[in-house]
Amino acid sequence: MIELPVIPVEETRKRKPNWLRVKLPIGPEYAKVRALVDAHKLHTICESGNCPNMGECWGAGTATFMILGNICTRSCTFCAVATGRPTEYDEDEPRRVAEAIQLMGVKHAVITSVNRDELKDRGAEVWFQTVFQTKQLMPTTTIETLIPDTKGNWDALYRMIEGGQEVVSHNVETVERMYRRVRPQAKYERSLEQLKRIREAGKRTKSGIMLGVGETKEEVFKAMDDLVQHGLLILTLGQYLQPTKMHLEVAEFIHPDTFDMYKEEGLKRGLRYVESGPLVRSSYHAERHVNVPIA
Amino acid sequence: MNIPEGLKYTKDHEWIKVEGNKATVGITDFAQGELGDIVYVDISTVGQDVKEHEIFGTVEAVKTVSDLYMPITGKVLEVNKELDGSPEKVNSDPYGSGWMIKMELKNPADAAQLLTAAQYKELIGK
Repeated sequence: MIELPVIPVEETRKRKPNWLRVKLPIGPEYAKVRALVDAHKLHTICESGNCPNMGECWGAGTATFMILGNICTRSCTFCAVATGRPTEYDEDEPRRVAEAIQLMGVKHAVITSVNRDELKDRGAEVWFQTVFQTKQLMPTTTIETLIPDTKGNWDALYRMIEGGQEVVSHNVETVERMYRRVRPQAKYERSLEQLKRIREAGKRTKSGIMLGVGETKEEVFKAMDDLVQHGLLILTLGQYLQPTKMHLEVAEFIHPDTFDMYKEEGLKRGLRYVESGPLVRSSYHAERHVNVPIA
Repeated sequence: MNIPEGLKYTKDHEWIKVEGNKATVGITDFAQGELGDIVYVDISTVGQDVKEHEIFGTVEAVKTVSDLYMPITGKVLEVNKELDGSPEKVNSDPYGSGWMIKMELKNPADAAQLLTAAQYKELIGK
């Protein structure tokens, strides 16, 4: 018998493929957005999430505001937002967000928030006021709200979504099997039920899945089917990127061709709109989703 | 935000320190801050002539990869080998031990067109 040489397996970090290249931020629009965000003491998920598209979006004069503070009660392993006991509860925040959106002249605003599981209403009132006040100031601005799960508090959910927003997004983030690893305090079934209830309330439903955390293709297809069955209209698919060395490692860099395949597959399975690509994030091209018919 | 006087800058966030017909190049404090933790600097153009605004390498942060652009036409003479083992020097000392390449300028007079510290500051809104 021939003895095979033992090659030690070296722990090498996966180099990022070329398709994940981005440009650094530049220009006066970027500076303007940065100044507005700072002056209004607002948080953005662009910064808190270390988003790779920040240069592109801010350079085009748009940002995604994150309300209810910048400390989250959940400790999802993919997310760069800090976990802890939140200290901020600012009833004036809705006004400042609305004003910033007005000053930026945003045509389509995307708003998200941290989880506030410690609050009885899960932050629903601040959510409602933010959307409502923005609509009062800017009636023609369309709004997408990317909301957390309300842990089954459906009254809180309904309050969150009645401010007049055109799109209500809630991300399932990953396939069912990966929940324990990726979203330990969330439940796949509960997120699906929340989406179903949002659709039943007459709202345009949207969700997102990060790929490359260790899921299989079959599991992604299954998630698509589950989402369609729960009334989902719009789905975003993007590559998971590790926000800091302390977070969940990337299991796989998915090829752009595979993203295209998923898009086709999603439409075949009954989704109305699929945004799929390595650098796609929840709010990527979000303005296009306003026109997806609800019925 | 540290934007030293005496260096020249590009709108792609490189700095360049010109000495005669030679120069040292790196990325600015603003650029390293926006990129976040840098995990790899990949430059394989040593010995090559690279034109102004062409790519001489890439810098990989935890979440993104960005191209590095030649501030001025010339030849790449040397890369900072220290960055192989400790790329974080680009974060901690962007204008010092975090330098990226040494180069020879084709036409030293080109340097006059680069941004001054004040012009670069204006570009990034500081």
